[in-house]
Amino acid sequence: MTNELEDVMASHDVPADPSRRRLLAGLLTAYTASLIPWALAQPAPHADRGAFTALSAILVGRQALDATQTARLYDALVADDAHFPADVQTLLTLINQRQIDPQQLQNVLDTEHSPLAKLPRKIVGAWYLGVVGSDEAARCIVYETALNAVVVADVLKPPTYAYGTYASWANKPI
Amino acid sequence: MSEQLSADIVVIGSGIVGSLAARRLALQGASVLILEAGPRLDRGRVVAAFRNSPIKGNWMSPYPPSPWAPHPIYVPKDNGYLKQAGPYPYPAEYIRAVGGTTWHWAAMAWRLVPNDVRIKSLYGVGVDWPMSYEELDPWYQEAEELIGVAGAPDTGSPRNQPFPMEPVAEPWSMRRFRERLAPAYAVVANTVARNSRSYGGRPACVGNNSCQPICPVNAQYLGINAVEAAEVAGAKVVPNAVVYRIEHDAKGRIAAVHYYDPDKGTHRVTGKTFILAANGIESPKLLLLSASDKYPNGLANSSDMVGRHLMDHPSTSITFYADEELWLGRGPQSPSSINTLRDGAFRSEHAPYRLDFTNISQVLSVTQDLIKEGVYGTEFDKQLRWRAAHQVSVKNVLEVLPDPDNRITLSSEKDAMGIPKPEAHYSIGDYTRRAAEVSKADFARIAELMGGTGLRYSAEGNFANNQHITGTMSMGNDPKSSVVDGFGRTHDHENLFICSTGVMPTAATMNSTLTGIALALRTAGHILPKPANAHAAVSNAEREASLS
Ligand SMILES: Cc1cc2nc3c(=O)[nH]c(=O)nc-3n(C[C@H](O)[C@H](O)[C@H](O)COP(=O)(O)OP(=O)(O)OC[C@H]3O[C@@H](n4cnc5c(N)ncnc54)[C@H](O)[C@@H]3O)c2cc1C
Ligand code: SF4
Repeated sequence: MTNELEDVMASHDVPADPSRRRLLAGLLTAYTASLIPWALAQPAPHADRGAFTALSAILVGRQALDATQTARLYDALVADDAHFPADVQTLLTLINQRQIDPQQLQNVLDTEHSPLAKLPRKIVGAWYLGVVGSDEAARCIVYETALNAVVVADVLKPPTYAYGTYASWANKPI
Repeated sequence: MSEQLSADIVVIGSGIVGSLAARRLALQGASVLILEAGPRLDRGRVVAAFRNSPIKGNWMSPYPPSPWAPHPIYVPKDNGYLKQAGPYPYPAEYIRAVGGTTWHWAAMAWRLVPNDVRIKSLYGVGVDWPMSYEELDPWYQEAEELIGVAGAPDTGSPRNQPFPMEPVAEPWSMRRFRERLAPAYAVVANTVARNSRSYGGRPACVGNNSCQPICPVNAQYLGINAVEAAEVAGAKVVPNAVVYRIEHDAKGRIAAVHYYDPDKGTHRVTGKTFILAANGIESPKLLLLSASDKYPNGLANSSDMVGRHLMDHPSTSITFYADEELWLGRGPQSPSSINTLRDGAFRSEHAPYRLDFTNISQVLSVTQDLIKEGVYGTEFDKQLRWRAAHQVSVKNVLEVLPDPDNRITLSSEKDAMGIPKPEAHYSIGDYTRRAAEVSKADFARIAELMGGTGLRYSAEGNFANNQHITGTMSMGNDPKSSVVDGFGRTHDHENLFICSTGVMPTAATMNSTLTGIALALRTAGHILPKPANAHAAVSNAEREASLS
């Protein structure tokens, strides 16, 4: 039997794993990591993670990133691709040295046929969709606190969460 | 072989259609056994699986197939269960689990329009049904009261009794469509099996916007509710029972069905009357699989019509940005439609259609678009909010005509249990394609009235499928051209009935489940007739339940 099937079957024999979701519940506690120029000075377990924080902040246009989420996404990205830390360092150095505007970044990498061309999408996908890896290796690391949920949280709830009392959606959104 | 199972009525398949027929028969005092190929699922765990899914755009992701009763999966990779013979792909989706496919339906519960059952007489296309709309009306009513349907009166489908519930509150986005498209188009509330108040012991909708793939709060009626209702009425459900053969006696009556348990142990189940309700693809597959010396083409197939006339509802669509903030995703996913194009003299030339507005949150799809476009930095948030607020989409739901070459057959490939897989032969005819062309003008006009920019039509010649499997076991009066009669009884086997959207001889323009249920209740009523006030009796019971 597949694990996915065990996940949705009603059988009491199948061990539950509620920790996966409960872990995510309190993630919105603010722990702010400053970005460039401060990002590297933030406490990070090691330079690789610091570089990831900084590059993430640039790519997702943030002045703060939740540390726990940063760690979880980082660990997942490394698990998905062992070259990830080195690639992050290389791309950060490239942006630092050449002062590439994030808006131009993909264009620059594509034009130069850079081996790093796939990296920004990986990182941005992790932050905004909460998903790391592709195709059958894809994994959902965060959902409720993925940035695409956070950015619209004043108007929408992530699907599966109640919007509000019956008919509350009839009002003008903002 | 283990225990011998037997019942007055043996139902194959625990989907919404079979389970509601089973419930009705059990309430009449019959012993009813439902054999279900798939496992029991737990709603809470389906919700958790969806939240944990990396592919949330794919509503099958929280419904992984079981090895013993596989169903088609296409993302991230085609599991090769439903073989495609072409020329056009038919990527049907269904769920083999207790409760069936409506675990992840949108709960649109439309009736036909009266002329849908007479298109041959009126327009010279398709076939007529062996019954009138008026004959269906009380069965629709019974179905609507059972599953709790909320609807507006102005949808083009007449009725003698009021809807059980008022329409579900209109999301702001749909209100703006309604206001801005008038008077060119009348936008009306969808008829849905979704609670606009407490009904049947279930709560009112709270707008989770995940009706597909799972309503977390039980505000939307699902097949599992039907299973539970059948069980309360006394029916017994055997999960993980994969029926692989229907056995007949020398006279051609059905004597037993055989199923595999997950370990491939075999079981034989006897009964007096058998109801095949394993959906529009697995049911014809089972009839074909049950071929014998006496019936070399399969059971119920003296007409050679089993599996033929496969129909669904293809859709093309337009996506654009409205000139005001609409923020799709507040409230249920499927709130409103334009129903005025579902019938008309044009049906002799091209397919009719319903125009369907989505209220599915656009956040996921615009995020994916922005990532694809390589938008980074502060611009991402800005664009994400703007697009999520402004992006809207409208699709047509097109009628397909019955064509004997569109069909389900047995593949030469087998599943893990050694049972042949189903194979789809499908194409989309000119009648339907012409309507897709015509509807482009509607798309353009709707976009114009909404101040639309960034108009994106679905790719030319590309049709999305709506998963409304119809036609494969069509009903009709003539045993030479149909599989079952107007009451769902197979022409060839006196005690074998079929309850399924697959008995519908034409597809019309509405999601087919409510019609499938109404026909199944009518079949159940034919197997065991109730006293004259039967419909009222069920209604009262439901009314009482709705007060609880
Ligand atoms: C994404 C999606 C959205 C939809 N939205 C709508 C909508 O809004 N409105 C609408 O009207 N319709 C909708 N539909 C279609 C709707 O789900 C079907 O019409 C409906 O489920 C048909 O009910 P059924 O009971 O005939 O078949 P199913 O629900 O498919 O149930 C059949 C059952 O038979 C079982 N079975 C199969 N083979 C065997 C076997 N060999 N032995 C024993 N048991 C077997 C299956 O496991 C299953 O449980 C939607 C479908 C999809 C996929
Ligand atoms: S909007 Fe939410 S509560 Fe309402 S039917 Fe859909 S999933 Fe259920």
